[in-house]
Amino acid sequence: MSALLAIEDYHLAIPTFDGPARVLNGIDLALEEGETLGIVGESGCGKTVLARTILGIGPDRAERKQGRILFEGRDVADLSARDWRGIRGVKIAMIFQDPMTYLNPLFTIGRQLGDAIAAHARAEGQARPGRAARRVRAATLLDQVGLREPERVLDYYPHQLSGGMRQRVLIALALSGKPRLLIADEPTTALDVTVQAQVLRLLRDLVETLGLTVVMISHDVGAIAALTGRVAVMYAGNVVEEGPTARVLARPLHPYTQGLLAALPEIDGAIRRLSGVPGTIPSLIDPPPGCRFHPRCPRATALCAAERPAMRGADPAHRVACHHADLA
Amino acid sequence: MPTSPEPIPLLSATGLVKVFHAGGRAVRAVDGVDLSLAAGEVLGVVGESGSGKSTLARLVLRLTEPSAGRIAFDGRDITALDGEAMRRLRRDMQIVFQNPHSALNGRRTVGEAVAEPLRVQGVARGAALDARVDRLLDQVSLPRAFRHRYPHELSGGQKQRVCIARALALEPRFLVLDEPTSALDVSVQAQILDVLGELRRELSLTYLFISHNLAVVRYLCDRVMVMREGRVVEQGPVAALFAAPAEAYTRTLLDSVPRLPRP
Ligand SMILES: Nc1ncnc2c1ncn2[C@@H]1O[C@H](COP(=O)(O)OP(=O)(O)OP(=O)(O)O)[C@@H](O)[C@H]1O
Ligand SMILES: Nc1ncnc2c1ncn2[C@@H]1O[C@H](COP(=O)(O)OP(=O)(O)OP(=O)(O)O)[C@@H](O)[C@H]1O
Ligand SMILES: [Mg+2]
Ligand SMILES: [Mg+2]
Repeated sequence: MSALLAIEDYHLAIPTFDGPARVLNGIDLALEEGETLGIVGESGCGKTVLARTILGIGPDRAERKQGRILFEGRDVADLSARDWRGIRGVKIAMIFQDPMTYLNPLFTIGRQLGDAIAAHARAEGQARPGRAARRVRAATLLDQVGLREPERVLDYYPHQLSGGMRQRVLIALALSGKPRLLIADEPTTALDVTVQAQVLRLLRDLVETLGLTVVMISHDVGAIAALTGRVAVMYAGNVVEEGPTARVLARPLHPYTQGLLAALPEIDGAIRRLSGVPGTIPSLIDPPPGCRFHPRCPRATALCAAERPAMRGADPAHRVACHHADLA
Repeated sequence: MPTSPEPIPLLSATGLVKVFHAGGRAVRAVDGVDLSLAAGEVLGVVGESGSGKSTLARLVLRLTEPSAGRIAFDGRDITALDGEAMRRLRRDMQIVFQNPHSALNGRRTVGEAVAEPLRVQGVARGAALDARVDRLLDQVSLPRAFRHRYPHELSGGQKQRVCIARALALEPRFLVLDEPTSALDVSVQAQILDVLGELRRELSLTYLFISHNLAVVRYLCDRVMVMREGRVVEQGPVAALFAAPAEAYTRTLLDSVPRLPRP
């Protein structure tokens, strides 16, 4: 089976005032059709840059240093603007972290959804749906993402929506076509838990009925647990642990993953001081040698400062990049 | 509302209403809300999306004009305050907006953004200003070198932290946080919550804390208010309310929190 999306040893650098930031440092990830992959990791570790790079809209001036990203077997770096038109927003749908940037402030929600619906019909060689048909379809999409009174919301302008309403409009836009791959960057964090549960159910349905493939980036480990089959944990531009979601959450192998999970405040259970992972992420301009996590790691030894750990695991499905992980 | 012999609340609002017109109809985004916050208290606001939380936040800070109701800060009615008097008050009342992406000016560096309130209010200059900016960046766990960066060079959570640093710069007495940790991973979130907790202990800072994350609300807040369709449907001490919610809606909210597989 060939992967729908394959990221192979991908390195990316972005020039900054203080020198090039090595934001992606050898990422390896692959997704089969119908798989759901979660990506978690500290703020600033490269999740959004990775997602945007997959879509060919990475930061300006970003430079690929090594590796490649294959979608349907083709290197995305080789795609022309014309090729992208049939892929971005069509075969690969995306939900971005900052909804306002992707909504046009001058048009109503109904107009923007209607345009997307018409564009998808065109992409599939169908006749342009009429105004009434577009409106009905748009209202259905808004209803699916849990917006009450969708008819009314169609006549709203983006600034008239609350944060969570806006985010759901963006999800509706992403799902207005028939994407093969959905890349969702923090799709549910601005939503209250009841709506979040509904959105996650909708995504799960699409995975089950249409075989939709999903990459979901989220800080919300609960949402990751609810939707994804596999999870990749990123730290400072590297994937440091990857495996079946339930396994990784229940038995994290990397000291960073362990710290991350220990920092979660819980809704029930005692209120304790949140430990977190002490310290901050390293500079990506001048990252620590060896394992990028070693300066913050409780288990670090001289080896960690000297040598970058390779991904390994007793079980090939659950792998970790740590010299001292307890693999037994 | 407790109108006991307690000291005067730092912030209080009575009968707040905000009506918007959208999609050809009137929306009562906030529909008769009373609230009162003692100095040093942390009041959480939870509720479904669109229930009026952000609108309420903007109202109490006088960033949106209320359709009805009164707001008092430190014992003084500020409902009709304008111009210079309101500007002076801004120093004591700050907000971290829900959307960090549009809250920052794209043409200002992080250093300029954080220094701006200090400069405008004439609090610090020169080396003292630089040192203060460094300390604020430390507090929100951002590398000091980020002072040269522009917003588009930051991740979502980094932008959010710049907004938090900016809001903390003037050591306000009252801080509204609208989903301040939604773009943060748990470990940075823990550090920010620790900083907020410290400031509260040291400076008696008072917070209005809006969040969808009920676990975080439980961790940080003393009292919590549950909103629905512009109204407060339930409120009380956070532990008691979460342990025994009276409203069906609050129960649904609590039951929907995804539980994690634990070892
Ligand atoms: N255009 C840019 N120029 C320079 N540095 C950048 C640029 N865009 C992102 N970065 C840096 O690259 C790193 C990764 O950013 P990215 O947005 O991918 O983080 P993230 O993992 O999505 O974080 P968050 O969870 O906070 O959204 C960050 O340290 C960020 O400061
Ligand atoms: N400028 C505006 N014009 C018209 N309607 C508005 C405006 N701002 C907010 N509203 C409406 O007011 C209601 C409350 O919005 P608000 O942003 O206060 O909700 P919220 O509780 O903060 O939701 P969320 O959790 O999604 O951020 C919504 O129905 C929204 O559509
Ligand atoms: Mg991001
Ligand atoms: Mg809001």
